[in-house]
Amino acid sequence: MAASLSFSGSARLLAALGRSSVLHSSFESRGLHVTAVCFKNRAARIRIGKGDQPLTYEQAHHPHQIAHRKGWLSQHASNLKGEGGAAERTMEDVFIRKFMFGTFHGCLADEVVIKRRGNALIVCALMLQKMPPQKFYFLIGYSESLLSHFYKCPVKLEIQTLQSKAVYKYI
Amino acid sequence: MAAPLVLRRDLFSLARILGGISQLGPRCLSACSSHRKCNQTRFQPLQTSSTFFHTATYLSSTPSSITVTDEPDTLFQKVVVLVKAHDRAVLDSYEFFATMAAKELGIAMGKVFEPPKDIERLTLLKSVHIYKKHRVQYEMRTHYRCIELLHITGSTAQVYLEYIQRNLPEGVAMEVTKTSMEKIPDHILEPMWKDLPIDDKSSK
Repeated sequence: MAASLSFSGSARLLAALGRSSVLHSSFESRGLHVTAVCFKNRAARIRIGKGDQPLTYEQAHHPHQIAHRKGWLSQHASNLKGEGGAAERTMEDVFIRKFMFGTFHGCLADEVVIKRRGNALIVCALMLQKMPPQKFYFLIGYSESLLSHFYKCPVKLEIQTLQSKAVYKYI
Repeated sequence: MAAPLVLRRDLFSLARILGGISQLGPRCLSACSSHRKCNQTRFQPLQTSSTFFHTATYLSSTPSSITVTDEPDTLFQKVVVLVKAHDRAVLDSYEFFATMAAKELGIAMGKVFEPPKDIERLTLLKSVHIYKKHRVQYEMRTHYRCIELLHITGSTAQVYLEYIQRNLPEGVAMEVTKTSMEKIPDHILEPMWKDLPIDDKSSK
């Protein structure tokens, strides 16, 4: 939409200049190039760099690739037509992501995926093997019980651990 | 020469993963961690790194008991199940699952069709301050799938719908419309003019 507006504006300007220049200038008339300020989208995009920054698959794809090459990080039915409660689900999601980031500090390999099936909240995360597994199990049990008491619904954590972050490309 | 060693390591890690989550006790984990350490000294970690998978124990619900009553079962002429989702592929697989379940249970199915999708679009300002001409558009797509079941009894419908709803994927909403058949009340079975011929004559 922004691109079409600027294009039509510059086309009209060029046409007006063409009409005026034909009358008095010579056959070597130069056109005036005018471009409006076009803001590039910057949401959820990591800009291209020197080639040393590793990116995961999630980070490498831009938000317009959702439903084409990307999936959804938070899956619930409240954004469908005729369903309510979207704001409450979003607030819960924000809190859960901050909670996971803080509880498993430095261990998260990728974004947390939150799924809601019926009443149950399922939090799926990819972790790095930074802590011994006993600590992992304790933290998993702690987060499950705390979140289920907080949200009054069964909360299940599905954790998969990796040795290092899964790099998709370097940017 | 490195190939058989690499194969053995992969097989070992695969066996560990398939061996079961319940077997992951402290002693196994310490063995695995030591194996991991010697792996790192000997080989470069390849893309098939060892992974540990944790799933919480699923809550088991009490199974519903079978009740036998004397009252007649409700009869449904049509049960329409409309499922909504953001992803068409999820709806495709759910439709396959629901139709297969209905076929296995012997439920007569009507049409299974796809109503056209709904797109809700929002146009917002791209910048925090001024720049009114530059906007950003977001959209939310809702795909539908409609499954009709014909001539079904109440108990069958209850069982089938409970099975379908327990296996509803995340991010999918369902609306069920039931059209039930009721017995015609006795007082409207016979036309009224048959009972009262005297009143008609007196009014004329």
